[in-house]
Amino acid sequence: MRTLEEVRATLEIAKLKEEDLQKTIHCLSFGDNVSSADYCLMELDDTLCKHIEAGQSLVIRGDKDERAVLCSGDNTYDLKIADTSNLLLFVPGCRTPDQLTNSQDSSHVAHTQIWGFCNSYWELRKHRPKLKKLKKILMENPYEGPAIRGQEENTENRVKYTMEDLLERIQASEEEIKTHLETIHACQIDGYWRVLDFDYEMKLLGHVTQLVDSESWSFNKVPLQNSLEELAPLEPKEMIEHCLNCYGKRYNENDKVFYALHEDKVCRGVALMLLQNAVKFNLREFQEVWQQSVPEGMSTRLDQLKSVALVDRTSRPETICLLRVEDLPEDTLERFNHLFTLREKWTEDDITPYIQDLCGEKQTTGALLTKYARSSMQNGIKVFNSRRPVAT
Amino acid sequence: MEKRGSVDGSSPPEWLLVELQGEVITRHNSGLAGNVMGDLLYTKEGVPVLIVGHHILYGKQVKLEKPFAVLTKHSSHSQDSLGSHDNSVITQVPMETNQQGPTSTSYSVSALIKRKLIFKTRPKPIITNVPKKV
Repeated sequence: MRTLEEVRATLEIAKLKEEDLQKTIHCLSFGDNVSSADYCLMELDDTLCKHIEAGQSLVIRGDKDERAVLCSGDNTYDLKIADTSNLLLFVPGCRTPDQLTNSQDSSHVAHTQIWGFCNSYWELRKHRPKLKKLKKILMENPYEGPAIRGQEENTENRVKYTMEDLLERIQASEEEIKTHLETIHACQIDGYWRVLDFDYEMKLLGHVTQLVDSESWSFNKVPLQNSLEELAPLEPKEMIEHCLNCYGKRYNENDKVFYALHEDKVCRGVALMLLQNAVKFNLREFQEVWQQSVPEGMSTRLDQLKSVALVDRTSRPETICLLRVEDLPEDTLERFNHLFTLREKWTEDDITPYIQDLCGEKQTTGALLTKYARSSMQNGIKVFNSRRPVAT
Repeated sequence: MEKRGSVDGSSPPEWLLVELQGEVITRHNSGLAGNVMGDLLYTKEGVPVLIVGHHILYGKQVKLEKPFAVLTKHSSHSQDSLGSHDNSVITQVPMETNQQGPTSTSYSVSALIKRKLIFKTRPKPIITNVPKKV
């Protein structure tokens, strides 16, 4: 074992002055365990780290050749070996400057063993949460508006879900569920999370946009109080406010609450309402009606409809139809099969909105296309089609 | 070495990671166990310095964005063979059969690593044949 004298000699040769250094010098040597293959390093995220600190156990599933997955609570992670060009040493007894007491007057040697080393580790990639089920179960019992006077809401016997119920049934974290509830315009009614029946949601939006037009308000400055007063005879105040929250941004000015209606969201909502009613529309006619149906001052644009509508520029006349990504299969392979059944060849611009949600952490739509589709050139444009024969 | 306390005290200990560019080459082919690797020092400002063979490397202390777990493989399920630190058990289950037979492997978490010393700067060679001052 190295002595302090030997260390001092090394310092001198290395031209390091003892007075510039802290008193503890760690002499590192390899422990007995280093050459055995019985250990490895695994990357963790915060959740797993807390899990392990609490002493809870985890399960790794998989064959030697197939990819392995780590299951913990309601999360699933893919495990992948990541190589690093660097050498990683794990040293149990090594202290960092903030941990050294420096109470001793003179330098001393701390003999420290390197327990193990490696140059690769298991990397975790979280599976994307399965949220499609969330809308599905809430759609079992959508909220259609308040009960008509004299009648109970005729869905008393149908299931309603609280947040606790949702956490139990959906394979996602509370945070992910809350975000998705906002995306699907769900709201809490009597403690239960409900999605609105589409026609009812459009009815609410219609009330709001008509009021904005008739009062000649700027759609960026819709006063909450006035809206609630004017529309109270028609709909519950909570629902009016919920509609404003879904389609606008709330802000305060001079102690009054206003909403700035979100142009894209409102236009998209109106488009959905129009497209619901037929299989396909003549594109030009649709665009005219659409522009006329949105509030004064708002501009409609086709890119507002990415992932909810599909334009066919190859047909004469050009057409548009409803196609919502949330109605498509959740499994990646099934999704691609479905898309290629609808249309044989897709441009990257057209298909990207319909595969964006399939991307896992650090994955791009380009990578998905490379894996699940075959590309070719058509009229100078790159198009994608199925890797296998699909009946269209 | 810091031990994180938790309610039931079963959290694994925390170790330090030392990351180096390149490989450690030993002169002897007898394997690494027992061999000296180098001296680790800290300057008064807290900069870690590593002297390995004829090289001197300067590094820095970094908090890991994603902590590591050191997993130790166990070939049997016997709880007696696990040390007092090894509490969290990770069981590898083959996908085809859902049974934990002789084919399943279990790992325990020997330690958590949250910080590292990384030595990325090119090692400076130490010139040894400098005549000593008389």
